[in-house]
Amino acid sequence: MRLWIIVLIATALAPACAQRRIPAASRGQATIVLLPDPESGALGSATVSNTRGTVGLSAAREATTAAATRPPAPARVMTDSEVQTVFGGVLSAQPPPPLHFVVYFRFESDDLADESRQSIPDVLRQIAARSFPDVTVVGHTDTTGERAANFQLGLDRAMRVRRLLVEAGLDASLIEVISHGETDLLVPTPDETSEPRNRRVEIAVR
Amino acid sequence: MTTTRCVVALGWLLASAAPALAQESPSVGRVKVSTGAAFVTHQNGQRIAAQVGQLLVESDALTTGADGRMGVTLSDETRISLGPNTEARLDRFVYAPAEGNLAFVLRVVRGLAIYVSGRIAKLSPDAVRIETPVAIVGVRGTHIAIRVDSQ
Repeated sequence: MRLWIIVLIATALAPACAQRRIPAASRGQATIVLLPDPESGALGSATVSNTRGTVGLSAAREATTAAATRPPAPARVMTDSEVQTVFGGVLSAQPPPPLHFVVYFRFESDDLADESRQSIPDVLRQIAARSFPDVTVVGHTDTTGERAANFQLGLDRAMRVRRLLVEAGLDASLIEVISHGETDLLVPTPDETSEPRNRRVEIAVR
Repeated sequence: MTTTRCVVALGWLLASAAPALAQESPSVGRVKVSTGAAFVTHQNGQRIAAQVGQLLVESDALTTGADGRMGVTLSDETRISLGPNTEARLDRFVYAPAEGNLAFVLRVVRGLAIYVSGRIAKLSPDAVRIETPVAIVGVRGTHIAIRVDSQ
């Protein structure tokens, strides 16, 4: 009689236990590691959360492991060689870092300033060395003159750089041209102020 | 009068063209590194071998086989690389800083992935999220490595 009851209870409980187990096992776990910035070495931070809790990462190579059924484990610091063992191959597949250049222009003109005229061949070489470089060219002016005219001048400057890039062999469809006119000053100035450092084109390459 | 008519006509043209434009998803990035078995799967199920230079759109899935690796750069300068036997999805990518619209959600389903933050994270750190099956990672810059074991 007692045996029957145990068997009955076990039979009734079995499906519930099985259901609880299977999803947990198949959902597995995740390990998250905070690394120093690959270029600057600067350190950001991250929070790892699930329904059971949250763990913050703020030191170099600090890591946590999370699973669905428990809070993320307390953070621990991985060694450099641990990181290399697990992630070395992935690190080697990282695309090259973006490139940023600034070239300067003469007053009220889309002619390059002398020092930028000298540096542009090197800029063009670095960009052309990439495969499929997506380039964003943003033209800027100082605050001399009308806002609308400066928008056009910024565009003329950006188009001048675009022309140089195309002449250097870059596919024109990879180049995006934008003008911010006088609305995004590198050096803040009052209106109607001549400032050579604001007469520029910023080139970003991905 | 003529100008007004022109503006109205232009507005009508743009409005009628908008649905057509919306259908073609804008590219959000490009494959920069691809070795071994590496694929891009669009939302409609179409799967393409990942070639260097190939454009990506929002909600594309990136997958690699046992000998595969892949690196992609997104239009805000975010970089993602994947190791072998990995599946990740660009669940959400919105980069319209002029309108203040910024969002990035990367879902790592399995395998090995490394993320290097771009401009979205700089402009709006709360807009960046990496999701795994068992936890969500809020990223405040800049370099994060993730391993998801499905067993």
